[in-house]
Amino acid sequence: MATLNYPKIRQAGRWIDVRRRKLGMWAYALNRLTGIGLVVYLYLHLGVLSQLARGQSSWDSFVSLARSPYYLALDVLLLAGILIHGLNGLRVALTGFDIGVRAQKTLFGILMLVAAVALVAAALKIFGG
Amino acid sequence: MTSMKMVEVPLQIFRYKEGERPHYDTFTVQVPETAHVIDAMDAVWAMHDRSFTFRRACHHSSCGSCSLRINGVEKLPCITRVTDVWDGRAPLRLDPLRNFAIVSDLVVDVSSFFQRLSAAGMAITRDAEPSLPLSVDGLAVIGVSPKPVELPENLSCFNRFENCIECAICMSACPTMATDDKFLGPAGLAAIYRARQKTDNPIDVAHLLGMADGEHGVWRCHSAFECTAACPQAVDPAGKIMALRRELIGRRFKKR
Amino acid sequence: MASDLMLIPHVIIVGAGSTGAATAHDLALRGLRVTVIERGEVASGTTGRNHCLLHAGGRYCVTDRESAIECIDENMILRKIMPDLLELNDGLFVALTEADLAFKERFLEGCAACHIPAHDIPVKRALAMEPFLNPSTLAAVQVPDGVFEPFRFCLAFLATARLHGAVVRRYAEVTDFISSGKNVTGAKLKDRRTGKSETLGADLVVNAAGPWAGEIAAMAGVSVPEVPTAGVMVALDCRLNNMVLNRLNKPSDGDIVVPQRATSVIGTTSWTVKDPDLISIPPEHVERMISQGEQLLPLVRKVPMRAKMAVARPLIARRGEDARKVSRTFECFDHAADGANGFVTIAGGKTTTARAMAERVADIVCDKLGIATACRTRDLPLASYRLFYQ
Repeated sequence: MATLNYPKIRQAGRWIDVRRRKLGMWAYALNRLTGIGLVVYLYLHLGVLSQLARGQSSWDSFVSLARSPYYLALDVLLLAGILIHGLNGLRVALTGFDIGVRAQKTLFGILMLVAAVALVAAALKIFGG
Repeated sequence: MTSMKMVEVPLQIFRYKEGERPHYDTFTVQVPETAHVIDAMDAVWAMHDRSFTFRRACHHSSCGSCSLRINGVEKLPCITRVTDVWDGRAPLRLDPLRNFAIVSDLVVDVSSFFQRLSAAGMAITRDAEPSLPLSVDGLAVIGVSPKPVELPENLSCFNRFENCIECAICMSACPTMATDDKFLGPAGLAAIYRARQKTDNPIDVAHLLGMADGEHGVWRCHSAFECTAACPQAVDPAGKIMALRRELIGRRFKKR
Repeated sequence: MASDLMLIPHVIIVGAGSTGAATAHDLALRGLRVTVIERGEVASGTTGRNHCLLHAGGRYCVTDRESAIECIDENMILRKIMPDLLELNDGLFVALTEADLAFKERFLEGCAACHIPAHDIPVKRALAMEPFLNPSTLAAVQVPDGVFEPFRFCLAFLATARLHGAVVRRYAEVTDFISSGKNVTGAKLKDRRTGKSETLGADLVVNAAGPWAGEIAAMAGVSVPEVPTAGVMVALDCRLNNMVLNRLNKPSDGDIVVPQRATSVIGTTSWTVKDPDLISIPPEHVERMISQGEQLLPLVRKVPMRAKMAVARPLIARRGEDARKVSRTFECFDHAADGANGFVTIAGGKTTTARAMAERVADIVCDKLGIATACRTRDLPLASYRLFYQ
């Protein structure tokens, strides 16, 4: 019986389409996005650190860039990624071993609230000086 | 004859015939306000297009054959009322299940799904709970507390069908199913869990847990919980996958 | 040997409902080459939407003893050949009024005459077994009713048939028959997956199309005295009973509540339809199911409705008869007498007796084709229904 198969690439990218999906799927997509973001950040970070090897003036120019408000905003974004990925990761780790499965939605809510509070506090600290 | 309030529903239906390009056809049908989506599909076939193919049999969520996507979300059209999913304006979109090859229009090839279920080998009947009423959606709606039942003299146990109707909705909703061709899937793993609960034979248990622990078993799950959310029969496949993981980890520790 | 293969007769069966499925199973087991042609999914016609009741025959033991005996015999056989596909919790015939109570004696006599095991049980016991049964119950008789799922029922027969070489073509619609003189020699069909037409030769065609048997017969130039008779059923959002609950009286609308999985299904009504292709569900029938159901189970009205279904039964007409009184037994029509040799219709009946219907029509088919193999379907356990799709 001849059948039509959707091309694989369309299927693999399916996880990002969270329209009309439930909370669990949103958490999953968010975790994947932040995960990708953090991996990209890791490479950037290593690239930045390599500036250290290029001598004092190189490093000084980087530090002055790092103080700019745009850069600080990116830092806050990075922190958001870390908090979301880390705290949701805690939920994934717990539920992944059959702890709190029934309460997975509530757990997500609580952990993201913690993330939000921590993020706001940190952002105030970062921009407040 | 009581007069029925009718509604005119536009349906945007995925169409595919072998050798042709997939496309959507829109049909408008007149159905009673109380109609289920399957009734609207019947009207499309009977009144507009006899080449329209779709699966169905029982019309009351026991066969699991009619599953499809309504506006992108997996549902059973036989228990979904038109008015519950239609906003009154935009056409109701019907698509086939994901992760299965499409045979024709809304009909998908479920052979790989049943292969997985055969591998799990869960019997479709089970011992019944010793109380009534029994509901997949909880009893809060009628507010009745369960009452114990006595058995007739000739029966050692009441029995019933498992909650799972093998509709493959969970397989369509699961993001991992899209990436691994051999993943047992929420239904397969839930069936392994139920089969394991029903046996004490160490060989059967080892075989079942071996499948769960394997390359295409429980560890492929990434906790999207979409299967449990989409299941129309409250099977909670995600919960069963996690319970299997717990048992597998527990066994690893015991071995040490 | 290749030459032997050419001698194996090919039978086309139109319809993959319970009749077609059981017939395919019987003929395949007798070594015939079988092709089932079904325009939709398996059991997508009448069988799929039936009441799921594995009759013990109690319903017919007073008014239609032939049907009743068929039912109890087949009930016992199905318990042997598909044990994992049945809910076996027995059933109760419940008296709620004095009229019902007066019927009890005739009922027990009828059961005895039809060898249906029936036990008059104390009401208190019945209420302990079924806590949501109407507390004003006056009497209860226990019978070996059971519950099946019609879809998996058909899949199991077809899976076994396939294991014995049968081919099942779903989404293929018979559009005409081809004949050579007075012999039907094959069918023209349209593959609904592709829109393409093809011709399939056959030594014999079995018309098992249920309420569409008349339509199919007309393509062969013959007729079947069939009256498609629709009925409505209502499935509730929760299961209020473990055992099948029947009203202890002559058959009437909404007098059975069949439990299954996590639902209770109340049925059914009866009205003649001209076109079994599209049946509109009359809301007054739905209301009648609720009001009848709540007599047996008062909580019925409080439970939300999960689904409602209607489909046409393939009743065989006898002139001037009330649809309720038409026998639920089945009949085979060998249309050779009507000028279409090689065309046999099997009509009427119910899913509970599908295997017996198949045995009868298979005997006729084999007789016509000169095959001497006996029926083996009484004892052979069916293969797993899941194998159908593999």
